[in-house]
Amino acid sequence: MDRLLKETAERVFADHVTRAAWDDAESGIFPAALWAVVEKTGLHKVGGADSGTGWDDLFGLLTVAGRHAVPLPLAEMLLAGTVVADANAAGFTTIAAGGLAPWPTAARQVLSIEGQVSSEFGCAPASNLAGEPFAWVELLNPRPVAVPRELPTLLAVSRVALMAGALERVLEMCIAHATEREQFGRPIAKFQAVQHGLAVLAGEVAAAGSARDGCVAACGTPRFVDEAAAAKARVGEAAGIGAELAHQVHGAMGFTHEHDLHRFTRRLWAWRDEHGHETVWQTRLGRRVAAGGADRVWDFIVGA
Amino acid sequence: MRFDSVALPPEAEALRGQVREFLAAEWPDGYWPNSDFGEGHDPAFSRKLGARGWIGMTWPKEHGGGARTFFERYVVTEELLAAGAPVAAHWIADRQSGPLLLKFGSRAQRRRFLPGIARGECYFSIGMSEPNTGSDLASVRTRAERVDGGWLVNGAKIWTTDAHRNHFIIALVRTGPRSANRHAGLSQLIVDLKAEGVAVRPIRNLAGGEDFNEVAFQDCFVPDANLVGEPGGGWTQVTSELGYERSGPERFLSAFRVFVEFVRAAGPSPDDGAAALIGRLASQLMTLRRMSISVAGMLQQGQSPVVESALVKSLGNDFEKMLPELVRLSPLCRAGREGEPLPFAVERDPMSAWLAPLERCLRQTVLYAPSFTLRGGTREILRGVIARGLGLR
Repeated sequence: MDRLLKETAERVFADHVTRAAWDDAESGIFPAALWAVVEKTGLHKVGGADSGTGWDDLFGLLTVAGRHAVPLPLAEMLLAGTVVADANAAGFTTIAAGGLAPWPTAARQVLSIEGQVSSEFGCAPASNLAGEPFAWVELLNPRPVAVPRELPTLLAVSRVALMAGALERVLEMCIAHATEREQFGRPIAKFQAVQHGLAVLAGEVAAAGSARDGCVAACGTPRFVDEAAAAKARVGEAAGIGAELAHQVHGAMGFTHEHDLHRFTRRLWAWRDEHGHETVWQTRLGRRVAAGGADRVWDFIVGA
Repeated sequence: MRFDSVALPPEAEALRGQVREFLAAEWPDGYWPNSDFGEGHDPAFSRKLGARGWIGMTWPKEHGGGARTFFERYVVTEELLAAGAPVAAHWIADRQSGPLLLKFGSRAQRRRFLPGIARGECYFSIGMSEPNTGSDLASVRTRAERVDGGWLVNGAKIWTTDAHRNHFIIALVRTGPRSANRHAGLSQLIVDLKAEGVAVRPIRNLAGGEDFNEVAFQDCFVPDANLVGEPGGGWTQVTSELGYERSGPERFLSAFRVFVEFVRAAGPSPDDGAAALIGRLASQLMTLRRMSISVAGMLQQGQSPVVESALVKSLGNDFEKMLPELVRLSPLCRAGREGEPLPFAVERDPMSAWLAPLERCLRQTVLYAPSFTLRGGTREILRGVIARGLGLR
């Protein structure tokens, strides 16, 4: 990922993803101030045609967004930008998969993964586990648009990138908490049981990062669909294990609304389900492995 | 802690086909594939690998090595393990004794030992654990006392894999007095396993195998020339081996043949349950392999990735243990079905020829699985290393 882009994204999100923005989002109020900064810095154009950026930057930006639990439908915006010209000019485009889209109420238009786009649509509100507004949408007077066959897979990979970023942040929060929080006269980080829990968490975080790198590196190659399946399956597992350990380390404080941990863990629980949970992608991947036969299992693993 | 995204370079990938051709031509008659690196001690096979230049690959040519990259070595080792080739004879010498001598050994030691190791003729055992020293390595009691021209060694090493058929052991011994610094006063000595004063006693494991041993030293004379590095440098040297020891594909491929046979049993169009299990195992394996290749990249850059290696081994060992446990419960496995008279874990001969391939390697793996999270650093030790890397201790 481009270094300047990464630094810009880190700074923008660190400064502008506030508790108020999170709370607004959960109340169905679009965080307009945050969106305005994203627009101003041009982050919403990353990965789009003529932006001079590619898949590595797009998914890199989503990983940074995951690190900050950005309460915008950034994944849908950016992926829509790779499909529809001017998707995010004067408003943004969200994507409906299975009829369900994040933030259609704030969007200028909705793109469906079946290849239709419209700025007129009916909405039936819903929300994900993180409280982010979703809605079932019905496109009115849609026009057809060519969407790549891999769009559903790209949406799954967007969740992989978001989860990998959120897991990094959750590990940092756990280390900070365990070294500050004292019980029995010493920081809880000094207890072996706590250390081992955090070591397991660190393993899951590192595995998530590697799986993410694997499918991002495979973008645009014939290997992409297999790497993406492996990553969504593996990172989904890491999200569940990681969130569980993080809450155990944080104790009751981490179970409160006041503590920020849930901004990340609730998103992890949402993202591991969105666009196919672990079993969905495991089954898909397993069928591909099995089709090659037992004597080609290793070929499949190494991509030979 | 960082695992950079690393792709194997073309010269490394090019070796894959060569290794496969070699295996097709040189597979030992009747050898049943086993992906556990400790399985299959076959000097003839090791010599053939040596002749191909696939032992000591990363060492300089002047020492019989191939001056190749860690990525090239990575591809050769993963292909050998995945195929289940008999690699135990040379494995330890290639993986860590040789690199240790290259880094800390004298010029004379490198000339004496490395070419033989690279030819696949000279095999080493690890001399770390003792009857009263397991994970707490700094507590070793085997002593080496200064005598004219060398050292007199007394004590014992244990869990010494293949000491009964290897040539040398690199023993971590106490050469200085015990002091407040527990890591001081330790040294590494190369001991000839056939020397006078060395007694090797086999220890039968729970699977009925006799791979590991107790090695006792009684007034065993070791010449000065066999001291590795500096006297008192043992701790630094021994911990520097760990980056090599812990990150390789042998830390997550031990149970791989069970996966292969499970895919065979599932057939080309498995049901959803079997497909999901195959996919879960594949997703874990693909990720572990990426991490392991990333560590090979760190080794290639001359780094000493001790924490990253511990993390790969810890995750990899958990995978090796999880794999047979999940496969075992699949409806495709015969063992444990109602009306099946032989629960496989109590069968005396785990390699019984009458078993279907899946049951056969599953039995073997279930019996050996306890060792996966013990050898080369227990799960508990590894988690401690990772916790230190996180700044928690």
